[in-house]
Amino acid sequence: MTAHTTTAPARRRRSPAARREERTGWLFMLPFVLLFLLVFIVPIGYAIYSSFFQQVATGGGAYGGGELVNRFVGLENFRYVVTSGEFWAGMGRVLLYTVIQVPLMIVAALVLAMLIDSFVVKHVSGFRLGYFLPYAIPGVIASIIWVYLYNGQISPIVKGLAALGVNVDFFASNVVLGSMVNITTWTFTGYNMLIFLSALQAIPHELYEAARIDGANGWQVAMKVKLPNVRGAALLAMLLSIVGTIQLFNEPQVMQTADPGISYSYTPMMMAFNTSRGFLTPKGDGPASAIAIVMAVIAGLLAMAYAFVERKVSES
Amino acid sequence: MNWKQRCMATVAMVSAVGMALAGCGSGASSSTGGAASASSGGKVELTYIHRLPDKPGMTSVEDIVQRWNDANPDIQVKAVHFNGNASDLIKKLETDVKAGNAPDLAQVGYAELPEVFTKGILEDVTAEAEQYKGDFAAGPYELMGIGGKTYGLPQDTGPLVYFYNKAEFDKLGIEVPGTQDELVASAKKAAEQGKYIMSFQADEAGNMLSGLAGASGPWYTVEGDAWKVDTETVGSQAVAKVFQDLLDAKAVATDPRWDPSFDAALQQGRLIGTVGAAWEAPLLMDSMADKGGKGDWRVAQIGDWFGNGSKTGPDGGSGVAAIKGCEHKAEAMKFLDWFNTQIEDLTSQGLVVAASTGTPSTPESWSEFYGGQDVMKEFFDANANMGDFSYIPGFSSVGTAMKEQAAKAAAGTATVESVFSTAQTSSIDTLKDYGLAVSE
Repeated sequence: MTAHTTTAPARRRRSPAARREERTGWLFMLPFVLLFLLVFIVPIGYAIYSSFFQQVATGGGAYGGGELVNRFVGLENFRYVVTSGEFWAGMGRVLLYTVIQVPLMIVAALVLAMLIDSFVVKHVSGFRLGYFLPYAIPGVIASIIWVYLYNGQISPIVKGLAALGVNVDFFASNVVLGSMVNITTWTFTGYNMLIFLSALQAIPHELYEAARIDGANGWQVAMKVKLPNVRGAALLAMLLSIVGTIQLFNEPQVMQTADPGISYSYTPMMMAFNTSRGFLTPKGDGPASAIAIVMAVIAGLLAMAYAFVERKVSES
Repeated sequence: MNWKQRCMATVAMVSAVGMALAGCGSGASSSTGGAASASSGGKVELTYIHRLPDKPGMTSVEDIVQRWNDANPDIQVKAVHFNGNASDLIKKLETDVKAGNAPDLAQVGYAELPEVFTKGILEDVTAEAEQYKGDFAAGPYELMGIGGKTYGLPQDTGPLVYFYNKAEFDKLGIEVPGTQDELVASAKKAAEQGKYIMSFQADEAGNMLSGLAGASGPWYTVEGDAWKVDTETVGSQAVAKVFQDLLDAKAVATDPRWDPSFDAALQQGRLIGTVGAAWEAPLLMDSMADKGGKGDWRVAQIGDWFGNGSKTGPDGGSGVAAIKGCEHKAEAMKFLDWFNTQIEDLTSQGLVVAASTGTPSTPESWSEFYGGQDVMKEFFDANANMGDFSYIPGFSSVGTAMKEQAAKAAAGTATVESVFSTAQTSSIDTLKDYGLAVSE
């Protein structure tokens, strides 16, 4: 992925062997490059291209002339997205969601990983598998399961709480975002825990021994040795989580069947999807692509900002 | 942070941005695309894509089509079942037409036909369809046309009717209400016993509320080649008033139609009456399955609840349209006329057929559930009472706006009236965004 870092001396002519080697290298790269182009670069390019167009009827009149044409509209689609109250309301929702969900999940994952890695827990593999299991369930299925568990008519949780005198409505407009946070956290905590756990287990045991000899207790080893050594993994997990939550889609899309109060533009991702499907106006691939691009740029900026802050903090 | 970590972060970032972009690029890709019609030596091949239920116990579309293929070696039809909802199918057809591999015939809802026309994926079959006009009810046949041209043949209809549990009604000492006052009074009386005889379905608002309002008069008319939009008709106001009264009195169920809680309400016997489209008859049976209500339910015409007199409105129903690129239009219409008049088979699929070549008999399982009633006859009466209501291109985004507003109305944070004012602004926006003419 990185550029050639070979610092070969400047030679005018390369030997046939080197050229052959290069060719072999490219040959090995070929399957990746082709697929990368096909499923990654081309769709992105097409999305950017179509974001400058809108589909409108030809001929005017009541029904148009029976054909939609792609009309070049310049930056009109982007103007629509940037000035759309719905878009920013959706963005606000996912940001709020990110601010609540990501720290909650990362801290939970870290705590679980530390516990499993500590000497307190025996039979590590059982716990590891148990915490990871929710991740094996596809997000849409997880959402469907939770919709049933949230449903006031049939949920054992709601009924159980009601029996204890606590009446909750998981679909109330000020609770529903929390209900989604719960689904995502339930699904992804185990996954992030695994990332942390592998980072923890990669720490050389000499470090622990040295710390012990210096008189550190278990708590101090955890905080002073283990924690600093999983920073890299934490940064990666945070970045992926931030970008993942910005794209929040499965949970609200599935929960919408149970709660029509979740609008079609509840999150930017849903707004893009439903614009493309024609449930929102202006509709079509043009405005939908513009939404996706603006969203990607914002996600990129946020991830960059986070990485920048992280670096500043770690340097100081 | 060392170089390696920074590099890792950059990789993560770049790929994450890419993911966000790639996630929402081009539209749906078509994998099950039907082959374009090809003729070889006088033999014509057609592809027909549909969304009929095809459940066990029904006469499958494949079997019906097989009969045709056996009898017509020159016109061979391949039926393709599409898994997905109406908007997904439209999206697929749109991309297929662009790619030049669209099916010849496709199921298209009456509410979606104007939109599909505007999108330019229909084939004009006015001349080829004309001779089959007499085989179908006049209203649905008209709905398959736009501006005097025909684009296919109707298949089924979805008049709104009233489903109710007669045994429960008898227990409460109420009858199917005839007037608005009776409806509200009976609903309140039932609510005192924890029962609901009406449901306010936010997720179906776009279809049902427009249909109920449509019983009294149309929303969309074309005048001088421009749309005249009025979604706040007298009928709409009456619908708004009734549901607002019921919501205020907590005398109406607010479970969304496609949420498990709706089925739970039916099974628990809380919901004992609801307005629904004719095609919901087998769905309601499924919902209650063996959990009670069998033999107790009945179907009735909608009363004069919204100033609609004896009229009712449409909710769903579809035809089969010829898709752009269909080369053998005459053969396609010949098959379609035959297929859409296989009344008994289509009835088994839960359809209230649009064909007028015969009277369908009520399937046995239906009459068992509906207490021996000739349900099909009720639906046919409803069909005959259907008011004229046509849709605009892009109505689905109007439906979305209505749904969202109706959800607020159900939660008590907005009025039912505002659902209809939302429809007004959304309709005009939709038409303008398409570049169509609107007279204001």
